[in-house]
Parts: sequence; structure tokens; C-alpha cells
Amino acid sequence: MVVARNSAYLIGLTPAALLLSLFFVGPALWAAYSSLTNLALVGIDAANPRFIGLDNYARLFSDPDFWQVIRNSVTFVVGSAVIGQFGLGLGLALLIDHAERRRWWFATVAYAAVLLAWVNPTLIAGFLWVAMYDFFFGSLNHVFLSALGLPPVDWLGSFPMPAVIVANVWRGTAFTMIIFLGALKTIPPDIYEAARIDGAGTWRRFWDHTIPSLRPIVALTLLSITMSTFGTFIVIQALTNGGPGIATEVIALYAFDSAFKSFSIGYGSAIAAVMLALNLVFAVVYLRWSRARA
Amino acid sequence: MTPRAETTVARTVAAPRGASWLETIAVHAVFALVVVFFLAPFVWLFTAAFDGRAQAYIRLPEQPTVDIFVRIFTEHDFARALGNSVLVAGATMLLDVVAVSLAGYSLSRLDLRFKSWITYAVLLLQTMPLSATMVPIYGLAQALGLRNSYLGLILIHAAIELPFLIWLMKGFFDGVPRYLEEAAWLDGRSKLRALIEIVLPVARNGIGVVAGLSFLAAWSEVLMMIILIDKQDLKTVPLAFYEVLRTRGGYTEVQYGLIAAMGVLYAVPVMAIFFATRRMMVRGLIATSRGL
Repeated sequence: MVVARNSAYLIGLTPAALLLSLFFVGPALWAAYSSLTNLALVGIDAANPRFIGLDNYARLFSDPDFWQVIRNSVTFVVGSAVIGQFGLGLGLALLIDHAERRRWWFATVAYAAVLLAWVNPTLIAGFLWVAMYDFFFGSLNHVFLSALGLPPVDWLGSFPMPAVIVANVWRGTAFTMIIFLGALKTIPPDIYEAARIDGAGTWRRFWDHTIPSLRPIVALTLLSITMSTFGTFIVIQALTNGGPGIATEVIALYAFDSAFKSFSIGYGSAIAAVMLALNLVFAVVYLRWSRARA
Repeated sequence: MTPRAETTVARTVAAPRGASWLETIAVHAVFALVVVFFLAPFVWLFTAAFDGRAQAYIRLPEQPTVDIFVRIFTEHDFARALGNSVLVAGATMLLDVVAVSLAGYSLSRLDLRFKSWITYAVLLLQTMPLSATMVPIYGLAQALGLRNSYLGLILIHAAIELPFLIWLMKGFFDGVPRYLEEAAWLDGRSKLRALIEIVLPVARNGIGVVAGLSFLAAWSEVLMMIILIDKQDLKTVPLAFYEVLRTRGGYTEVQYGLIAAMGVLYAVPVMAIFFATRRMMVRGLIATSRGL
């Protein structure tokens, strides 16, 4: 009965389900399995991988580099997603919404500028900041700092992590801004009017009406940008490739290097499995949080 | 319900009182900083591309020229890269529109006790980073003969955006009233024909957003192209961009003009598509945040 009622819909889900099993679920399961083997990209272990239990994980967790990579990833995610993209995106949404109510056209220019950086392909974003940060001839040193009479700064050498964070904030802020601007537009203006007649000041209205109406989408937006930032690869590869040393080596770069440079697929899969597990934990926490608030 | 006329009145009344000069200056100063920060890299990109002696810093070209663009096509076989990218992104778009229309509609109309679990599962897949599964995807593509093939790139690119797009499209279909398709069934149409002839035209904005976003995503994706393509014939725009980028850090002079011009050709199509359809795109993105 249930099947008969839904049979057409179940068939409709099939093409998508096939693609998702092949390229999402399958690879995730395969990563979990091969992390328990010594599979390699080349050499004798490529043909005949052996089952080695949790050895890859033991090696991973006793590797001081790995813990540095985790610290880097957390710094990068907190700095560029939570503080940068979310903070700046929310702030800009509030400011632009306010300016639009005042009919200040400059708000539209700022909105378009932020959007442009986001629409632009990621690889270009990475390279544009390579040029901006260049020590001898980059715009930051050669144009902006020299105009202020300041000495040049070795951005990627002395401040690698802030530098990659700024580049990624530049690239990704628009998403949060768009979502929150959309939410702000759904607040009926009569709520503000009623509050004003009641004698509530600007800040009171902001805390009592604006913030609560944004709350339901906070968790979902944070989930979305945290996850995509956690997997960031291209921007950092273009800017520092993890360096200097391993100062900006985040988990995605570490997994890539282990698999495709050191050729140890098993070890790379263990890193991937850790990524997926962390991801799942994040997602569950955010979803529970959003349901608790809803 | 409030009649429409009254809300309009409320909005005009609710327009804030006049701004103080301090507020006017402060807000505009912040916007000016934002514009400088977000546009400065583009000012470099669009000036260097037309500058015969381009540098890493922003400067006005002494003698603006389009020579670099000509060289890209004559010396770097860029037409092939452009053709490959259009082919892959276009086919990805078609595949996604079909798969997402079917899946989004089915998920919207499915009547199961565990339906919310399926919806959660789709959301969960959406959060899975590609960099975590790239190693298995490489192995899988190798085993299935999908490396160095258009089909491989198209299938994988279509899959990457699928969870997000299904999520988005389900929202559009949820907003289409069911009596429309039920009337079509009574007329003797099959469920598929009712979807194509009655429901899809109503949800055409959603289809537009799905088509646009899937094209843009496939056009901009790089990681899969790096690990799946190493044949010259199959190189796409980002791979051509990497080729000229490799001049960086070697013993040769960095060809900033060349890199910038290629960047312009890579970025301008997606910017044009997005800004031409931005109202629809932005509305579509906002719709995904409406929750479960």
C-alpha cells in the first residue's frame, strides 16, 4: 500500500539516488574501509593491499604534524567562517538593509562588490590574492602601504594564516549576506512601527524584533559555511600551499598531499575518514541546535 | 488578514526618520571601505589584462592593448579549453535539471513515515566536503574508466551539487499547490506528464535557478579537474589557467598580463550569467535557508 502509493515517486528519486550513491555514499564507505589497509597509489601495496587494522589511525594520532593540522583547520574555520564570513556577512546585511530603508544608493554598490567576489571562480580568487600579497610588487605593499608611507610587509611569510583567512573571507562573505538580507526583508515593517509607537528605541527594536526573527536561519547558515570552509582546498593551495612550513596546512591539503604526493592511499583515507567523522559531528550538533531553537 | 493597501501605508510610515549627518558619514565610510576591499583585486585583474607590461600591482596601462587576448588564443590553444569547459558545464546543467526536477518533485510529494529522514540525509550529504572523498573518487574513476573522459567530469560535477539543488528544488515544489497536478491526473495524464506539462511550468523559476547554479558550479570547480584530467585535449579553462600559473616561481619572468587576461576570460562569463539573472538566483538561494 505504502509502496504502491509512492512507487512513481520512488522511481523519480532513482537517478539522483544512483549518482549520490556512486559519488558520495560509496566513496565515503570506501574511505572508511581502505583506511584499514596499507593501500598505496603505486608499488607493491597498490596491487595487493593488506588489512592492517587501526595502524593508520595510530600513526595519524601519534603524528605531531596531524595535531598542528587540526589546530590550523580550527583556526581557519573559526577565523574565516564564524568570525569573518558570518560576522561580516551579518553585519553587512544589517547595514545594507538599514541603508536601503533610507534609500541610500551606495548600499547597492557595496552589495554588488561583495557579490562579485563570491561569483568569481575560486581559483581566480586565490590568484588575485597572490598578486595582492606579493612582497615586492603586490598592490597591498606597492600601492596601499607605500601611499601611507609604510614599509612593505611580508604578508604570506609573516602572517600566513591571517592572510589566507582574509582571502577566504573576501571570497565567501556574500553567501551569509544574501541569506540574512533575505530574512530581514521578511520582517513586516508594521512590527517596527508598533514598537516605535510603544516608545522602543533603535537598539531595543533591534534586540527584541530583528535578532529573534533571524535566529531560525542562523544554525543552517553556520552549518553550511562551516562545512564548506572546513573542506577549503583551492584558495589555500594557490596562496601558500600549506606553508611556510606547515603553518597553513589545513586538513584538506594534508589529505591531498598524503594521497597524491606520498602515494599512501590508506593513510590518506584515514585522514578523510577523520574529516567525515568531524563533519558528521558538526552537522548533528548544528541540526539539534536549530531544532531546539525552532 | 491585512489588506494590501494598509501594508503599503505601514511601509511608508515605517521609513526611518531623517538620518543625522554623523550616521550618514559613518555608514558611507563603511561602505566605501567595503567597496575598496572587495573591488581592488578586480581593478588589478581588469587593468593588467589590457596592459602589455602588466605588473603584480594595480597601475593604469600606458598603452591599453588586446594583444594578450589574441596571444591566448593563438599560442595557448585557449579555444579548446573554452569549448571543453562549455561542453562539460552545459552537459552538467542538463543532467542536473533532469535529475533534480525528478528528485525534488518526488521528495516533495513522497508520503512516507521516514520522509523527514530522507530530507535530513540529503542535507547531510550536502555538507560533505569534496576534499574528504577525492581519494576514493579518484580510485573509483580509475576503475570505471572515467578518468580523462568528458562523461566522468559531467557525472561527477552533476553529483557534487545534487544534494544542495534537490534541497532547493524541493522547496519550490512544496509551494506548488497539489490540486493542479491532481486535476491533470483526472484528465488522464500520467504522473510524469503531469509533472512536465503542469507542475514544471509553475516551478520554472526554480528550474532556472537550478540550471544557473549547476552551470556556474561546474564552470568554477577545480579539484576534480585536477585529479581526473591529465590529457591536453581535455583540458578545461581552469587547467589552462594553471598552466600559465606555473610560470610563477620559476626562472622565467612571471607573465602577469597573460594570467590576468586568462582570468578575465574565465571569470567574465560566470559574472555575466549571475548578474543577468541575479534576482532569480538570490531568491533561490534565500529559499534554501527556509529550514526543514
